[in-house]
Amino acid sequence: MIEFTLPRRTFLRGLGTALALPFLEAMLPARLFAGEVRKRFPRRLAFLYVPNGINMADWTPAAAGPLGRLPRILKPLDPFQADLLVLSGLTQDKARPNGDGPGDHARAAASFLTGCQAFKTHGADIRVGVSVDQVAARMIGGGIRFPSLELGCDRGMNSGNCDSGYSCAYSANISWKTESMPMAKETDPKAVFERLFGNGSRAEAAEGLSKRERQQKSVLDFVREDARRLQAKLGATDRRKLEQYFAAVREIEQRLDQAKAEAKKPDQDGGLPAQGRPAGIPKDYAEHMRLLCDLLALAFQADLTRVATFMLANEGSNRSYSMIGVSDGHHDLSHHGGNKEKQEKIHQINHFHIQQFAHLLSRLKEAKEGDGTVLDHCMIVYGSGIGDGNRHNHNDLPVLLAGRAGGTILPGRHLLYPKDTPLNNLFLSMLDRIDASTDKLGDSTGRLSQLFGPTRNF
Amino acid sequence: MEFYKFLGPWIFFCVCLSPTLLAGDGGPSRFDSDIVPILQKNCTVCHGGAKKKAGLALDAFKGDVAVVKDLRIWEKVLKRLRAREMPPEERPRLSGAEFQTLTQWIEAGLAQFDCNANKDPGRVTLRRLNRIEFKNTIRDLLGLECQLADEFPADDIGYGFDNIGDVMSLPPILMEKYLAAAEKLAAEALKKGSASAQRILACQSGEADKKACAREILGRLAERAFRRPVTEEEVGELARLAELAASEGESFEKGIELALEAVLVSPRFLFRIEVDPDPADPDLVHPINEWELATRLSYFLWSSMPDEELFAQARAETLRRNLEAQVARMLKDPKSGALVENFSGQWLGTRALKTFTPDRTLFPEFDEELRAAMRQETELFFEAVLREDRSLLDFIDADFTFANDRLARLYGIPGVQGSEFRRVPLPPEAQRGGVLTQASVLAVTSNPTRTSPVKRGKWVLEQILGAPPPPPPGEVPELSEKAEAVQSGSLRQRMEAHRANPSCAVCHLEMDAIGFGFENFNAVGAWRTRDGKFPIDPAGTLPGGRSFKGPAELKAILKGNSEAFSRCLAEKMLTYALGRGLEYYDKCHIDQIVAALARNSHRFSSLILGIVKTDAFQMRRGERGSK
Repeated sequence: MIEFTLPRRTFLRGLGTALALPFLEAMLPARLFAGEVRKRFPRRLAFLYVPNGINMADWTPAAAGPLGRLPRILKPLDPFQADLLVLSGLTQDKARPNGDGPGDHARAAASFLTGCQAFKTHGADIRVGVSVDQVAARMIGGGIRFPSLELGCDRGMNSGNCDSGYSCAYSANISWKTESMPMAKETDPKAVFERLFGNGSRAEAAEGLSKRERQQKSVLDFVREDARRLQAKLGATDRRKLEQYFAAVREIEQRLDQAKAEAKKPDQDGGLPAQGRPAGIPKDYAEHMRLLCDLLALAFQADLTRVATFMLANEGSNRSYSMIGVSDGHHDLSHHGGNKEKQEKIHQINHFHIQQFAHLLSRLKEAKEGDGTVLDHCMIVYGSGIGDGNRHNHNDLPVLLAGRAGGTILPGRHLLYPKDTPLNNLFLSMLDRIDASTDKLGDSTGRLSQLFGPTRNF
Repeated sequence: MEFYKFLGPWIFFCVCLSPTLLAGDGGPSRFDSDIVPILQKNCTVCHGGAKKKAGLALDAFKGDVAVVKDLRIWEKVLKRLRAREMPPEERPRLSGAEFQTLTQWIEAGLAQFDCNANKDPGRVTLRRLNRIEFKNTIRDLLGLECQLADEFPADDIGYGFDNIGDVMSLPPILMEKYLAAAEKLAAEALKKGSASAQRILACQSGEADKKACAREILGRLAERAFRRPVTEEEVGELARLAELAASEGESFEKGIELALEAVLVSPRFLFRIEVDPDPADPDLVHPINEWELATRLSYFLWSSMPDEELFAQARAETLRRNLEAQVARMLKDPKSGALVENFSGQWLGTRALKTFTPDRTLFPEFDEELRAAMRQETELFFEAVLREDRSLLDFIDADFTFANDRLARLYGIPGVQGSEFRRVPLPPEAQRGGVLTQASVLAVTSNPTRTSPVKRGKWVLEQILGAPPPPPPGEVPELSEKAEAVQSGSLRQRMEAHRANPSCAVCHLEMDAIGFGFENFNAVGAWRTRDGKFPIDPAGTLPGGRSFKGPAELKAILKGNSEAFSRCLAEKMLTYALGRGLEYYDKCHIDQIVAALARNSHRFSSLILGIVKTDAFQMRRGERGSK
């Protein structure tokens, strides 16, 4: 097992226990797959993003084939070798300028899950494309409390100019519900916890639910009517803004329905330990990332959501990593100019992020589900939209895929793809595995081969 | 919106190199002889003929009037050229001469824009209240502190600010948080026996007539919350909602609470709505109504809703008439602290102080107290310029600042004891004065381990002179960080070597000269005379030949360019005030503000008044291509 230098949060250990096997198994088959003879566990997708590229020399395994000795940055993933694919050669072409000039950081984040070219603007007419997680959420999010979960450690940008003429919306988001609406991320573990698990116990909530729910519905009915009357008076752009309002109201209504349906189930009340609530955003960045990983794992485990994105930092972040002895800014360092010392520091930052990824995987692997673990039913992508931060290249991106997607992926290998294979091909193959097949996503050109073994595609 | 800036003395591509390119009276057209060949060689392969990439056909224009007639198109062309986006990287670049000829020809055409013939106030997209505005509005509407707003997701930034209608979105998670906040706030506001409950529930119709009472209460609430008069029908809808609760056996108060909750998540509360007679007619320019004007004013100066006085003026339709007096009153109100905090923090970039993390071993003096002090100095200084109605040029250099013991120690100012901030005079030997030498600005333009002359130079060009350098071309080699290079000299010497590359030199010449002018200030803003073992050399020469020996002389040069600075600040603040990016036609509004500033010794109040008097602030029109 891996050694963690920082103590694990006791509350989450307690919480994990509360939500362990009996709770899940009791409800899963009945609720999710009523009528299905074969018991199938839900499959989940998550996408973790790190900014400014990677020190690729310490990332890419020496040869294709079974993983053996992992490169330095990936060392923390040793215990998960059997759950891991290292994918080399994938490209996000839409992060390239393609005539739009500088702005690789903004484009890297904006295109990462969309495979679309971000429209270059400081503000007016922000536009990129729908991201793979949101496609998945739309397809499999029905009947799930939270169609998708968006997490991140950086709240927003503190200063105006994010990247060479691109609005900060592009660098701060990877999840796009529509081509013009990014899904803002939650950064406060306390808020995430309360959103997922509520303020009080479930029993308490259920009691007041029906009246409260009726009232909330009437409030939502009221404002929807209000918005409808208003819409008639507005111009096209304003109407589009208001569309977001309608969509948001709709989603909340669905959630209320969902909560109501769940409240009717007699075996729901797990009850959450009071000490389970995180206090807020921890000062320590590692702790912050870990808490969010814990919550993501819990949300998957309790089947509160099946789709998640998590930006460990915003693209172009110049965060200092003094907690691991690297006090320079990350972005400044990433322009290492071949300087060995700087490259070593970049390696340390990359390694530090991978440790957090390992933590997430350990959480998902600890959680038993059927004969296997939650991780067995997941597909967790980890990567960056930039290859080498110094070159700002968008080919041969650092991409990992963890989990077995219910046995439809054969992990434990390093796969090499032909030059310029679209990253979106991977996403298409992932969507296949959650029964959300689609023919085209962004700049995809087809499915990604080899995921299920050297010869078979699926 | 940057074209006319380049006509000033601060341009990169020296004007003296080529004559005015637009044909004078009766002169031969330069279009056919100079411009068409450049377009044919570099552009029309894609943007012309049958291809017309991006819908642009550059072979369809005739004569020098092309720019004047199709301003919007040419302005876009100019932007793409300046940003080095065109021609795309796989095609040959424009030569220096081609670039100059083409951009100056477009500029000259744009400069002919006739403000009298082309009145265009622009059109602001529906603005959602941002997090700060939401909090302030709740404070002023209900007298409550909304802590839940701290959990709202961050508002995305565009054009340098977080209040831009086009940029702000409403994802489901935010709506969810609005609902949760509304529920909590409505309950708090109507807590039995509380002062706010008594205020809200006050009813002249007499307690007996519950129906009339509910309508009265809700009408009053909704008018303030929606920042405009409400119709009978709207009040009726709200009253019905309140009755619904009553029909379920809830109390009268509970009904009001539910209706208030609905008000707080209504789009009419969450968005600042301005209505047009015909939203699809771009030619129908009309003044916004007095309620809308009151709202624009209050969110500009207070980041909050209008107060009773503004509402009263709007109701009586006297606000436009009393604009100057109202603006003066609003600036005096402590609520204008929001302008200090929100505008200055974003204009100067000092919001980034929050996440500034200098290397603690290199800068052991830096701690949370100093961080807070840096921020406070800048806010107090900005506030003094505002409250004392001082000249905007004080931002560039001034003979006073504010300090407490920690900051005074960093600055080497003797005799300041205690953590309280106080005004301190700055004699010339203090080497300080104005925002450029404040630790906050010096820090946020540094790296965690060292200063960044490039960032500082770029910051001055962007935030003070309004002439942002184009982004670096993609193929430029990085500054060498190899060990042998680092050993070879100070940062300055290494960067000068890097600048020998002509494609870098064109921008870095100015950027670096300015940045190095501030090298006497280290990465946390303390004065120094050496960079490691190398002495600091703060002298420099700007393009155009002006030389300076150090930061004081550099500031004097900058201060002498009051036109560029006024223009820059006017642009930033107009963007902030309107909540939209500026367009080519806003040149007229900026001209007007800058002229007023020059007439009024650059007083702060004349900037604010100049902005609120523009058509951009007071009028709007329908949307282009809306139908």
